[in-house]
Formats: sequence, C-alpha cells, structure tokens
Amino acid sequence: MVDFARVQKELQECSRDVERSGIKVSPKGDGSLARLIGTIPGPTGTPYEGGTFQIDIALPDAYPFEPPKMKFTTKVWHPNISSQSGAICLDILKDQWSPALTLKTALLSVQALLSAPQPDDPQDAVVAQQYLKDYQTFVGTARYWTETFAKKSSLGIEEKVQKLVEMGFPEGQARTTLEAVGGDENLALEKLCSG
Amino acid sequence: MKVNILQWHAVASWTWDAQDETCGICRMAFDGCCPDCKLPGDDCPLIWGACNHAFHLHCILKWVNSQTSQAHCPMCRREWQFKG
Repeated sequence: MVDFARVQKELQECSRDVERSGIKVSPKGDGSLARLIGTIPGPTGTPYEGGTFQIDIALPDAYPFEPPKMKFTTKVWHPNISSQSGAICLDILKDQWSPALTLKTALLSVQALLSAPQPDDPQDAVVAQQYLKDYQTFVGTARYWTETFAKKSSLGIEEKVQKLVEMGFPEGQARTTLEAVGGDENLALEKLCSG
Repeated sequence: MKVNILQWHAVASWTWDAQDETCGICRMAFDGCCPDCKLPGDDCPLIWGACNHAFHLHCILKWVNSQTSQAHCPMCRREWQFKG
C-alpha cells in the first residue's frame, strides 16, 4: 500500500516553493494519488532552456520503499532519455533509490541530468553516438526538439483548430485530436498525420 | 513546621531526543508515530543507526527488510548498522 499520507505531504511541500524551484507535481486527475504528473523547466544554459518538460509518475505499492516510476511524456533529445519512449536512465530511480528521497528531489535529479548528460551510460544509443561524435549537431537537434515539443504555443485553442482546418483537416477531428493531446498543436498534427 | 500534602497532581511531558523533528522515511514527526501505529511512545520507538541517523523503528525495519543485499542508511548511504 502506497504511503499516501507521505505523498499528500510531498505535494503540499512541493507546491509551497514552486515559485523558486519551478518544479510541479500534481495528481493525474483520476482521483488516485498513485498516478501523478511532474513538470520541470529546462535548465538555463542548456539546449533545453525555455522548455517545460512533463514527466509521468507512477507510484508502486511499496513507495517510498521502492522508487517512483518516471518517464518523460514530452519528447526530449538526450543521451540518457529514450527519444522513443521517454524512459529515463538515472541511478536514483533504480538501485540507488533511498526512501529519504522525495518526488521533488527525484525531479531535481532528473533536471540535473538534463544539464549533465552521461553519454557513456546511454538510454538512447543513437543520441549518445551523436553527442560523442558530432556535438554541434546534437545541440542543434536537442534545441529543435525543445522548441517543437516542450514549448507551449501562445495560440488559443480556437486558433489552433483554425490552423489545422486550414491545413485541410476536418474541424471536428482537429478539435478532438487537440483535446486528446492536451492542446499541443505539434502533437495533434503528428497524430492527425499518422491517421 | 509540619506540612500535610492532601493532594498531588503531577504533569510530565516527554520528547524523543533526536536531532531532526521528522522521520526521513515517513516524514511524520518523531514525537508522533509511524503511519502504521496509532499511539506514539514506547510502542513506536525511535532507533539510531551507527551513523547516528534516527528513524521510527518500524520505518527503518521496513526499509532494511525490503533490501535484498546490505541495506544502507536512507540519509547518508553508509551501511546500516543498528547502534549498539
């Protein structure tokens, strides 16, 4: 059984200094505290700067005696994060977990991982190869992915629907797809294109 | 002079003598109890490691028992040994 009293406390503590840390944790919305969504800002001075990255969090029954399961739902180009699945290669989320760590400190570690890639222990071999062999291209791709997937468009939902309609998609379908991906026009376009 | 005490009403308070106020595992107050207990005190004692970090006995036991190899202190990662 997850220690929900502790999770509740963690959520309160995290929201208390969200202004300073920029790190958010909130329930996924199905009424359970076992599924959460974490948000971290991309660290400044990195190709991830300016982006907002969402992380899916699932708490195992034994939490906090077992680590939370975390993976990126925002696409990110990084040697230690799968560009396909969002899986994260980070020791404290595996065998180096300690029950004294919290969701917030774990997310801080993930944020630190964005600042300090470890290409010798890759989660995504393609990205790691590029990082080692062609660093400039790596930075370019990582920055492009941040721009494309991690930045909230300033457009309102109606304008996004309109934009997709202009591209030739039926209005109803454009609207439901946009809603399904949480208003991200790039993801919506990708989904519409893949049928 | 002789004093006769007719009534005696003593009040005492107690607290655990730990450096921290809360258990690093369950995040509950040391003067409270772990999530599995109802009453603080002797039934839900604190325990110290050789590294001098304290936890609710029940919390650290759950951690030690969940580890397949040597358990480490959740706070400082030194090998966990109960303070003798």
